[in-house]
Amino acid sequence: MIVLKEGNLRIPKWNRKVFAVAGGLVNYKKFCPEMKLEEQVMVAFRQMLEQNNLKMSPVEVKGLINLITAGCFADHFQDQLLCEAKVTDYLGLDPMFDIGIKTGGATGGSTILTAAMGIASGYADVALAVGWERMSEVDTRMGNYYISTAACKDFETRLGRIYSSYYAPMAVRFSQMYNLSEQTRAKVAVKNHLYGYYSPYAQQPGKYTVEEVLASPMSTYPLRFLECCAMTDGAACMLLCDEKTAYKLSDKPVELNIAGGSHTLRVADRRDMDIPLLPNEDPGLYDGMRKKEGTRWPGFESFAASRFAAYFAYRMAGIKDPLEELDLIETHDAFTISDIQTYGDIGMRPYGREAEYIESGDAYFGGKCPANLSGGLIGTMHAVGATGIFQGVECLWQIQGKYDQFHGDTKIWKSFGKEKPKDWKSLQVPNAKQAAWVSHAGVGSHVTVGVLKKAF
Amino acid sequence: MLEELKTKYVGTPLEIMEDDVAMVVYTPRSVVHRHTYGKLSPFFRALKKGKLMATKCVNPECPEKRMWLPPRADCPDCNQPMDWVEMPQPIIGTIHTFAEIVYPGAGIELETPYYQIDVELPGVCTIFKGYLTSGTAKIGMKVKAGFNTKNPSNTILDIYWDPVK
Repeated sequence: MIVLKEGNLRIPKWNRKVFAVAGGLVNYKKFCPEMKLEEQVMVAFRQMLEQNNLKMSPVEVKGLINLITAGCFADHFQDQLLCEAKVTDYLGLDPMFDIGIKTGGATGGSTILTAAMGIASGYADVALAVGWERMSEVDTRMGNYYISTAACKDFETRLGRIYSSYYAPMAVRFSQMYNLSEQTRAKVAVKNHLYGYYSPYAQQPGKYTVEEVLASPMSTYPLRFLECCAMTDGAACMLLCDEKTAYKLSDKPVELNIAGGSHTLRVADRRDMDIPLLPNEDPGLYDGMRKKEGTRWPGFESFAASRFAAYFAYRMAGIKDPLEELDLIETHDAFTISDIQTYGDIGMRPYGREAEYIESGDAYFGGKCPANLSGGLIGTMHAVGATGIFQGVECLWQIQGKYDQFHGDTKIWKSFGKEKPKDWKSLQVPNAKQAAWVSHAGVGSHVTVGVLKKAF
Repeated sequence: MLEELKTKYVGTPLEIMEDDVAMVVYTPRSVVHRHTYGKLSPFFRALKKGKLMATKCVNPECPEKRMWLPPRADCPDCNQPMDWVEMPQPIIGTIHTFAEIVYPGAGIELETPYYQIDVELPGVCTIFKGYLTSGTAKIGMKVKAGFNTKNPSNTILDIYWDPVK
């Protein structure tokens, strides 16, 4: 049993407030031969500078940046060490300091967290968080093997060589312990492919039925292909700044709090521990669940790193009841099961009742707190180093009321060589004030939870 | 004075994968890593002899004194070196959870499909991942350890599990 002490549970505190003002994405694709990675980053950077209604010219904004945090998951994929230097040079930001960030699938979140630390500490007034991945450099099976080296290479990698094989055991265990049906899992896939359908950035848009998801080929039992995220070539970026600069740059600045948690690389090494409670959870809530024989928390059912990140981030942001106070969330739906597991960690429902978040309708557009209106990782993208930034940018645009500006503009669809669907609809959450996003690595090895709050 | 040089290309031309909107070339890579099992070498040597070795913390000051599988040389609770302990035979465990590997990544060394299983072992604080060589996996099922002693792979695949009849 791991016992945490007071210092371990200290709530992180910014020395000054941090704001997000602009973001940029690209046309996410499985294979993007027409552009090199730094050229794709330029597309996101231009969108961030030119299309976010900033009150200064791109050249003036560039003149404010003195810190670049650069996320990229795997040198294997890029086959280029020190990509950060190439990107900073290519964007014309030399000789500003760039620092490479690597925390697996949570790289994007960690990249924003690091930039926020730069602002909060006073190191920078304006920081660029940028991330990318080029997963098409190898074929899909080799890509799956590369990713599986983010399991333990001595004790796990050889037993599957694909990441779904490290989530599938969680799906089997969770389903038995918490009575989760494969239909509920499939509903997550249906929802996120559908939301991807309304996004010009989406790689895997689609109108599927639950039956079609369940009839799709098996990746690792019980996870089907349509329940798994994309492998993507892509980039994303976000501009962060201090309070004074935020209002100088934007009429719609959004306040940022973000925190992280980490846990063992191998799920099997996760020893039982007390559940750190979210602000809305009463002591004793989990007494019954904890007394059942054979239970261990987080075990194969949950992610302590997500719970800790939420534990800290909600308190930093002053959130008491996440389901009531958040207007939308973006979760790391690498697999349908990991998405569902996360609902308990971040308090959309108490542990053991995660499926209710989907079944109640709360997770849908028009519901209490819709999830992954961007299309998420299943519908839109998983260019690993960029993913957590993409999620944050989608939350930012929702709070700024710019969903339509960035998803409904026919020019954006056309610039990607796509036709805007005739039945396109807006997924703008009316009057969205507060959003959270989860950036998640491994089988829960690193997680950040960021909270964005309207500040205009 | 530097000598006058003449230089020739002696590499292997890259094959072009496609040359449509952009020129895409294949850049082959073949690498062999030198990987040490380090202080866990006794574990991998023991597998080839049909033994499963765990590590156990014996530091009287340690608040936990746990037994570990996968082993680790040093205790994370007190940061002191641990002792090796041989698991008594027959080694019987219980399936905690499992998956069926259908579409593995490149380089898979087991015939597919197969069951990857996570095994609870008595007295061990962790859960041990492995594979089933026969039968149908089920949570709660008892399994017995077997060892690949004849043609060892020198990897974790040298231990496997079978259902207890």
